Amino acid sequence: MISLAEELALLAIEDDGAVAYTAGQAGFGMALLGACLVDLNAQGRLDADLTAVHILSRAPTGDPMLDLVLGEMGGETLLSVEQWVLQLAPQVPKLVQLALGALVKRGILAQKESRFLWVLKERRYPVMDGREQKEAKLRIMSTLLGDDVPTPHDTVLVGLARAGGLLEGFLSAQEIHRLESRIGEVGGIDLVVKGVEAAIREDQAARARAMMLPMY
Amino acid sequence: MSVLNTTLETVNGVVVVLPEGRLDYDAAAGFQSTLEQTLAASDKPRGMIIDCTALSYVSSAGLRSFLVGARSAKSAGVPFVVCSLSQSVREVFTVSGFSRIIEEHADRAAALAKLG
Repeated sequence: MISLAEELALLAIEDDGAVAYTAGQAGFGMALLGACLVDLNAQGRLDADLTAVHILSRAPTGDPMLDLVLGEMGGETLLSVEQWVLQLAPQVPKLVQLALGALVKRGILAQKESRFLWVLKERRYPVMDGREQKEAKLRIMSTLLGDDVPTPHDTVLVGLARAGGLLEGFLSAQEIHRLESRIGEVGGIDLVVKGVEAAIREDQAARARAMMLPMY
Repeated sequence: MSVLNTTLETVNGVVVVLPEGRLDYDAAAGFQSTLEQTLAASDKPRGMIIDCTALSYVSSAGLRSFLVGARSAKSAGVPFVVCSLSQSVREVFTVSGFSRIIEEHADRAAALAKLG
């Protein structure tokens, strides 16, 4: 079974194997970090509340992504989910590579090198076994179109896919608009997801502030 | 190690669940199991009230156990409500969005009146 973080990375792979442009944006990276925190929570390595993340165990999980994140969460100071996500953001490129590597190793993705404009190297990850990606999309759709209370996994998946800009990869703008209320209702009923959303807002605000700095 | 004591009472066929203490990672699985077992019992309750009078803390893992309980109740066709939330627990429910999918009452009497 693939981890939530791998599932999220899989949703960033387009039909032609290209990594979606959203995967290069801060929101996706923070959603991926959030997925790692949720996975670590599920494996009893940490727990979170509105003010802090509490490390429960530093025992390795055997998952390189989760162990990388856990290893970076050192120090005695208690930080909130939002603060950890912002602090761990430099690890995102490594996490993306680890996630894609794990999916290749599982035989879900292939890895192909090609040339773009005859010169630039381009790496694509064609989907080998479409079952997992299809299942993730179907779970999201079924959560959004049904009226059930979502499972903890599905509410997190919807919340992080929304935060990471991944819904746009398989839903039209019109569909997203139509489902907006249900997305808001059942997406991300989870304290880690709320921390991720706060981190994304803070990151966007910081970027906006930087843009407004006087040039002279 | 946290301590959460959960007691169950039945009032006119409605099960009142009283968690007492901290609902964190250590306590979440047990609490979730209590809710699921109660809902799956052959003598299905007419409703389930989680009376949070003595619940002092809910973490991310604890919130998931509430979500699973609410989902199991809906699947079983059992009305599921919460009551008597402390300020800190209400804040967790509000910030997480759980309060949008769950019915909340000020106290047990109001919850029982609704389910009665």
